[in-house]
Order: sequence, then structure tokens, then C-alpha cells
Amino acid sequence: MTLPLPKSARPWLAVAAVLVLGAPAGAQPKPDLNEATEKAMKAASAKAAPTIVKIETAGGAETIGKKAPPGKGPPAIRKGTGPTTGLIVSEDGYIISSAFNFANKPTEIFITIPGQTQRLVAKIVATDHTRMLTLLKVEGKGLPVPEAFPKKDIEIGQWGLTLGRTLDNNVDHPPSMSVGIVSATNRIWGKAIQTDAKTSPVNYGGALVSIDGRVFGVIVPASNRAEGETAGVDVYDGGIGFAVPLEDIFRVLPRLKEGKDLKRGLLGINPQGNDVYNAAPIIGAIQPDSAAARAGLAVGDKIVEINGIAIPNYSVLQHVMGPMYESDEVNLKVSRGGKDLEVKGVKLLGTTTMYVNAFFGILPMRDDPGPGVEVRYVYPKSPADVAGIKAGDRIMKFGPSALPAPQPVPNRAAFIGMLQRLTPNTEVKVEVKRKEGDKVETLTSKVIAAPDELPEKLPLPSTAGKALEGQPKPKDPNPKGPKDPFPPGFSDVRAPLNGAAQDEKKDKPKIETGFMTRNNQALGREYWVFVPDNYDPNVSHGLIVWFHPAKEGGKDGEKMAKTFREFAEDHHFIVVGPKSGNADGWVASETELVMQDVKSVMGQYTIDRTRVVAHGMGNGGQMAFYVGFNARDVFRGVATIGATLGTAPKDNVANLPLSFFVSGGDKDPLLKEIVESKDLLKEKRFPVTFREMKESGKEYFDLKTFTDFLAWLDSLDRI
Amino acid sequence: MFTRHTLAALAAVVAACATPAAAPAADGFADTVKTANRKMVKVFGAGGFSRLNNYGTGILISKDGHILTVASQILDTADLVVHTYDGQRLKAQVLATEQEMDIALIKIRKDGKKIDEENGYDFDFFDFAESAKRAPAQAGDWVLALSNTFEIALRDEPLSVQRGVVSAYTKMAGRRGVFEFPYTGEVYIVDAITNNPGAAGGALLNRKGELLGIIGRELKNAQSETWINYAIPVTAKAEVKELVTVKDKDGKDVTQEKVTTVTMTDFVNLATQGKYKNIIRPKIVGEGGGYHGIIFVPNVLERTPAYIEDVVPGSPAEKAGLRPDDLVSFVDGEPIISIKAFNEFVRKNTRAGTKLRLEVRRGEALQTVEIELGAQPAKPK
Repeated sequence: MTLPLPKSARPWLAVAAVLVLGAPAGAQPKPDLNEATEKAMKAASAKAAPTIVKIETAGGAETIGKKAPPGKGPPAIRKGTGPTTGLIVSEDGYIISSAFNFANKPTEIFITIPGQTQRLVAKIVATDHTRMLTLLKVEGKGLPVPEAFPKKDIEIGQWGLTLGRTLDNNVDHPPSMSVGIVSATNRIWGKAIQTDAKTSPVNYGGALVSIDGRVFGVIVPASNRAEGETAGVDVYDGGIGFAVPLEDIFRVLPRLKEGKDLKRGLLGINPQGNDVYNAAPIIGAIQPDSAAARAGLAVGDKIVEINGIAIPNYSVLQHVMGPMYESDEVNLKVSRGGKDLEVKGVKLLGTTTMYVNAFFGILPMRDDPGPGVEVRYVYPKSPADVAGIKAGDRIMKFGPSALPAPQPVPNRAAFIGMLQRLTPNTEVKVEVKRKEGDKVETLTSKVIAAPDELPEKLPLPSTAGKALEGQPKPKDPNPKGPKDPFPPGFSDVRAPLNGAAQDEKKDKPKIETGFMTRNNQALGREYWVFVPDNYDPNVSHGLIVWFHPAKEGGKDGEKMAKTFREFAEDHHFIVVGPKSGNADGWVASETELVMQDVKSVMGQYTIDRTRVVAHGMGNGGQMAFYVGFNARDVFRGVATIGATLGTAPKDNVANLPLSFFVSGGDKDPLLKEIVESKDLLKEKRFPVTFREMKESGKEYFDLKTFTDFLAWLDSLDRI
Repeated sequence: MFTRHTLAALAAVVAACATPAAAPAADGFADTVKTANRKMVKVFGAGGFSRLNNYGTGILISKDGHILTVASQILDTADLVVHTYDGQRLKAQVLATEQEMDIALIKIRKDGKKIDEENGYDFDFFDFAESAKRAPAQAGDWVLALSNTFEIALRDEPLSVQRGVVSAYTKMAGRRGVFEFPYTGEVYIVDAITNNPGAAGGALLNRKGELLGIIGRELKNAQSETWINYAIPVTAKAEVKELVTVKDKDGKDVTQEKVTTVTMTDFVNLATQGKYKNIIRPKIVGEGGGYHGIIFVPNVLERTPAYIEDVVPGSPAEKAGLRPDDLVSFVDGEPIISIKAFNEFVRKNTRAGTKLRLEVRRGEALQTVEIELGAQPAKPK
């Protein structure tokens, strides 16, 4: 008995002590703790049991979840044939259960209430999509309703019993029991209580009860990494189970009873930057027509408080917003231009309109310190073309017509930022300095949604070759003029070389070019990089990160370098090929290591942040999708061959744009899934270029597609 | 495994806090385990390749070394060996197996002695007969499971002990891979991760150390599609159908179906005396079950609900009053999730003359309908 007591066990100890001391003092010389706890557990179960019902279904599918080809995506879950569990929540026959129990869409639902012999026909009333609960209704009156354990009194370490009806067909027997403790509260964005008692299809929909028989909550599968009715089922009986607090369920019960499906309440904002834990929660983008947009919030506003709760960072914001429902109202305090602003009664929406990239119709000249942006190319029939803009013109001012006057355009990055704040069909005013005769004109046009078509020809040169000129130096942010919409490291500025390259004229390090193999000794990693021989630090380069197919193991580096040599020289691209540490191909957890390789290359060369692309084939393509979505501060494009999305795509966001080039061979058995992946991306309103290759299975681009791919690569900074 | 640690931690807390709270409080679990460990053996036999482990656990039920274990493939060897709690490595031999309950009785054999000779051993053991007389444990009762799960112990190392509660005492609905598990009687479902490689043949005890059941092999529950942790109770019984040939009135041989009830107690008694005979059970091939005359809707979905499209005029279904659009929802209380499930039930469990209680959904309520099945009509030629 020398084991130190775990801290979390203390409240538990209190329970145990009560149980022991609760026995009449001195009456029993040897109180048996095991006997006492056994009695307490059974009493708790017996108290809750009359409210725990058995659910049986007929019809529906054998499996839940999409059937993915082996090795792609999570396996579909076989739905058991046995009964499941529900909890009575009102005396007139409303029963709440886990949405998982109905995920196979059964056609019939029957319920058996303890103490009643006759099965009852049940109907689905509504589903709470935020907590994955389903409300059912049967004919009934005078039914017992469980007592909810108050949320404020729940302590981590308290006894928790999970009760279910799957195992024993007889509802007049005690429900099945698993014993544990409350492991945590406020899990899954504040929506669930966590327990170490076993939770599985055996008791989903059942109750997590305290040692006194009051109900903490309704058991559901849940995961903080995924959403949907099967999320979290894979870790059943894994020591990490969840229950939705009954108190919360009672609160929304009137809404559910009306037959309204409940959705998450969305504010419709995206953060600036990727650091959700340390950075202040500044709005980086606002979804069009969202609650935030309707309430007049603006990009750059800092959220200070929500409903009186201080919001120091975006993570806290997610936790405060997590439990909210559609049409809930919140009171915000935001800081705008140093002044606090109260925004009251912001009504949350259940859906957001996807952000659609606005498009003016030009390719800008790169590496031009400005002021203004030189037009490299005008898309035919684009708003720019219609307004009469010609290649060689310089755009000096730009802005929506609604503003009193167009704003100065300092450079390309700022121009891109201006477009990101516009929605398609907005009328704009543009001031151009004509190539011929320096004449200044103001034109009017209307921006449109970014098209999927690619320009037919790629005019050269694409760069003014002054990447290192006129830019604010690192650690010396420009105090004047409009703020760069990109955070540091996001603009065309080259990162300092060895931390010393303050003046490129005095310090001209020899720069390696050609095909090189690199080692990262500290991480034990190897990757290759190809830098065109005409590399010039004054010309910013796009970066293609090539994810090799499974089993290639990075052996295809020289081949890829050869493929890209000519294009890389003409259009200024660097190609880098990280290597999977896994013989069977890429795994998601390699993202961070890959990003180390990518960032070390980005630190050594002048990289154009608007043209950083994840590119891959097969398993490598799936990895490219994953890395593209999970390192969105770095990538602006994802190009894949024969690859499917491994996970659901994230939303299109104004300040973290992503374009896609998706292709597959007509002989690839995965083609259907590839097309589905493309459609999912389109649904999210990302710009997607799709090419189906004829007579192709799992080979790299054919010539025609490769040409299109190069055009796509070179037009990623289109405005 | 997380769970196991947590439970162990809880056990420690119980033990630690009980002492200061009330000085003379007994630690029931510790005493129970100390005694029980002496009544258990580690079993080693055939296997050891391609995911089939060659180790298991056994429960001593006589002073001479009779051991109850599961009827697994590890017994398929002439070189069966057990390790006793004090580290002895002894030879053992299979006396009898009973597939219906997935159990076997083996016995320690002394070198130079015949298997049924007095061997002079004096092992601690569980009194099986006494155990089988007790009322079964219930959901919420503390239990301790002792087994050599994952072959963690050799020779005199104590077995692994896990603590949990009885999660349910209920009918078994297991399956192993695609095969149905033969035993469908009552089992203890245990709230601890008890059924892992090597654990089969272990003992499930109540908090007083009384034998409740024998831990079975790894199985999935067909009802919930989850791995189950279970033990077959000492009170287990299985109904075995066999075909016997008897003479009818005219002295002609006729084959009849005979149902015999096999209990674990009978098995242990007879096998200990060397008298247990396995009943030979030829597979009883169904004749398609009884005839009902229900015509279901086209079976096009994975689980097409058993909606009645029509009933054959004059058939048992019509006589019973079944109607088009009725949904057959339960048969004799068993849920019918699909047409396939209904057909399977009829094929496996019925013959001409069988009476079934159907619950059909008609409109918004369930109606009970009694139906007596007839003989399958001759197939039109």
C-alpha cells in the first residue's frame, strides 16, 4: 500500500470514505468496502434503470459510413443487429438516444420501456447534429424521467457508471453496467463529459450515471478530430468515452420537440494566422452573409469578449462557440482601431455561405517593388479586359465603387489582399497608368467569381527581377501605408540568409543550384531539391513540393527534376522532394517533418509565397491534399494525380486561398472517387481545375495535361 | 489496456483509503487473489505460429490435478504442459472436451503413473460442485478475473488479476470470424478487458473468491459488432439436438430429433470419472422449415424490412389473419431486422406444426398474431 495517490483520485477517495464512514460506527467491526461499493453501484443502476429503454430497429443498411477502397479512408462500420439504448426525457414519451443507433437509416423503430410488456412504435422527431443525438417519440404518459446531475457540481474523479440495454434482451433486468469515473468535463468544444467507463455500441444512447443514480449525460460516440455519427466509434471501450450532459439536453428539448433539427451556431469568421493558442483572436476573414457579416464585424477586428467571457485567443473562442446552436444570440465586444465596440444580439446561423474568390482578370508582374502593379497578362473577357486594361499598364489605385475613392495599390501582395475582401459582382473603380504615354485613367468594372479556365499562353517575362528591392526589411515593418495583408513571412520578402543578409550587395553568398540531396541530421531526414541554374535571388521562385507515390521512397527525384527543368528555368520554380519515412507510403503524421524540409528550403531561396504548391501522385497525392489543408499558411495550391481526398475538405477561406489541379486517368479504378473528391472541393467553392487523362491508369501527367498544369502553376497569383 | 491500469489504480485507492478510514477494514480483493492464485495453472500446448497462440490458462478443480480449461487448439498435442503456481512444470492430458460449451477437462499426469492412478498430488482447487449450486452473480457485482493473458507469467509468477463488475448476465450472441459460436446459453459479460490471447481458461471470481465462470476465447458480439469480454458460467447448460434412430410401432427404423441438455456440472462429473462421452451430433439439415405462405416485398436492400406484399390464399398466413402491408417485426420475441432474418429464423427453428407468435406492425401499433406453420407444398414440376 505504498502507492502514491493520484491527484485525480481524491474526490473518489471522498466518495469511498463516505461509503466507509457511512456505515453505523462501531456496529460492524470489519466494514467491507467492496461490499459497500457493490451495493452503491447496484443502487445507482436501479435508480436510473426505469428510465433506460431498449430500442430495436428493422431495415436500414448493413454498414455505416462510406465504403472506401482498402487502405483509403476509415473502414465502414458494421451495424450490429442487436438492440440499442435510449433514455426517457419526458413523461409523455419523448426518448433521447445516440444518433449512431440510427445511422444505418432503419425504416422501423420499436421501443420497450421497463415494466411494460408491449413494444411501442417510435418515430424520429428531430436530430441534434451538434451533439449527435436523436429524439424519438412513443405514445406514453406518466413515464419516469431521470434526474439530471447539475453540471456545476460535476467533479473530475467522481464515480461514473455507463448503463445500456444491448446485452440483455429483458428490460426488467438491470441494464448492462461498466464502471469508471468522470475523466474530464467540457470536452469536444465544451459539449461532452468524458469518462473512462466503457462506452461502445453496447451502451450508446444509454446513461452515464453518478454513484447516487443521477444522470450525468447520454452516452454518444464522439471525437475532437472528426464530426458525424460514427466519429469516435473506432475507439470504443478504449478508456475514453463521452456523454452529453443531460442538463444541456433538457435545455434544448423544447426546440427538438418542435421537430427542428439542431445545427451548430456559426459566427462565420476565420482567424488571422495559424497560432490559435498564443495570438490574439483577430478576424482574418469573414464568410459572406454570415452572422459576423450581418453584424457588421470587419477583417482586422479583435474579439475581446463573447457573452462576457474574455477571449484571449482563438482556441478559447472555439471552446466558447462550440456548444452554441443555430439562432442562439451572442453578445460580442470587439476592438477596432484601439476602441472597444459592443455588438449585441448577434444571431448565429446554421450554415454559412461559402467564400468565393473574387477575380479581376490579370496576371501581375512579379518582384516589382511598386508603387502599383504592372499588368503582365489580361484574361480575355475578364472584368479587366472588359474595362479596357492592357498588358503593360500599371494599376495604381483600386477599390469598390461604394467607397468615395479607390485606394492606392502599393504592390502585388496588397492587391491580392484587396481582392480577398471583395465578393464577386462587386463594382470596382480602377486607376491605371497606361503603358503608352503615362496617361492616368479611372475605369469601372465588376469583379466576378474566379473561373476554372486556364490562360492559353504564358507571356514572358513574368518578373521585374527586383525581389530584393524596395521591400520592407525583415524586423523593420513599414510603419507607413496600408498594412501588408499577409503576416510576416507571407509577402515576397526573402527570409534572412543565415540571419545576416541585411544588405545583399555586401553579402553575396554562393548559391547552390541544380539537383541536390539534402540531409537533416537532427531529424534523420533526407530530401532532394532542384534549383534551376539561372536562379537569381532577385527573382522570386515558386515552390513545388513533390510527394512521391507509395514505395517510390524519393527515388524519383532526378526524373522529376528533369521533367521540370525547362519550365523551372523559364518560370522560376524550385522543386523539392521530401521522402516518406514509411515504406507503405505517406502518413498524415509526417506533415510536421515535411514542413521542416519545406521551410528550410524557403529560408534559403527567394520564394514567391503565392506560388507554393503541394503536388503528388497516388498516395503522395492524398498526402498533398492533406498537407495543403493542414499547412494552409504555406500552400496556395494542391495538384494531384490519381488521388482522393483522405478526409473531408475544409472551407474555402479568404485569407488562406487554395487552388486545386485534380487529375486522374480514365483507366484508374479510383476515377469515380477522384471525381467525387473534385466535386467536394467545388462544393466548398475552391477554384478547381480538373483533367481526366485518356488511356491512362496510374501514370504521371500526359503532355497535354502537363501543359495545362504548367499554365495553372504560373497563374496561381492571378488577381 | 488503459482501462486495466485505471482499474488497478482504483483498486489501489480502495485499498489505501480503506485503511485510514476504518483501521480494521478487510481488503477482500487481496485475500481473494492470494488464495485463488494457488488454484490456477498456465497451460502450454500446440500452436505458436501465425497468430495462433500456444498458451492458455486452466482452473484446478481437484486435488489430483483435474483442470478445467477451454477446448481450444492448444490442446491438440501429446505434449501438453502446465505450470503450477509454485513453478512446477508438469505434463497433462486431455480427458474430455465439450464443443457446445467450448470447454475441456485435462488432468496432470505424473511420470511413471497412469492417468487414472492415484498420483499423490494435493493441489488447492475450486470446489466445482459447490460453485455450480450458487445463484448466478448480477450486473454490478464486483468480479476478479485471473488469467495468463498475453503469456505474461511463466512458472511460479502469479497470473494477471483484473477487477471489474459483471456488466450483464445474459444470453450469448457471439461469433468468431464468420462462424457462429456454438454456445448460446447464459454468459457473464465482464466490465474489464478479460478476453485476450492466453486468457481463455482463466477464472472469473466474485469478490469472495468463489468461482463464477471460465473465461472464454476472443469473440465478437454479433448484436453490437464489438469485441466482448465474457466468461461461461459454471451453471452453463446447452441444449444439443441430435438425430437418433428408433423403432416405430411396426418395428421400422425411423430417425428422430432428440434434444439433450448438457450441463457443465454433468460434464465435469463424468469427465472427472473418465465416463464422459461426446454425443455425436450429425449436422441437422433443415428441410426449409415450416410453410407460412407469406409473400414478402422484393428483397432488394441489404436489410429489406419484412413487409408483407401478399399472402397465399388458404395458407397458414391467411388463416392467421396476416395482411398485405403488415410488417413482421418480431417472431417469438426475436427482432426481425430483414426478410433474410425472417427466412433464416424459419429455416433454422421451425417445421410443419410449429406455432409462432408474430408481432406485426399494422398502422401505428404492433399486433400479435399466432400462426401454425404447415408442410412445404410440393414443388410444381
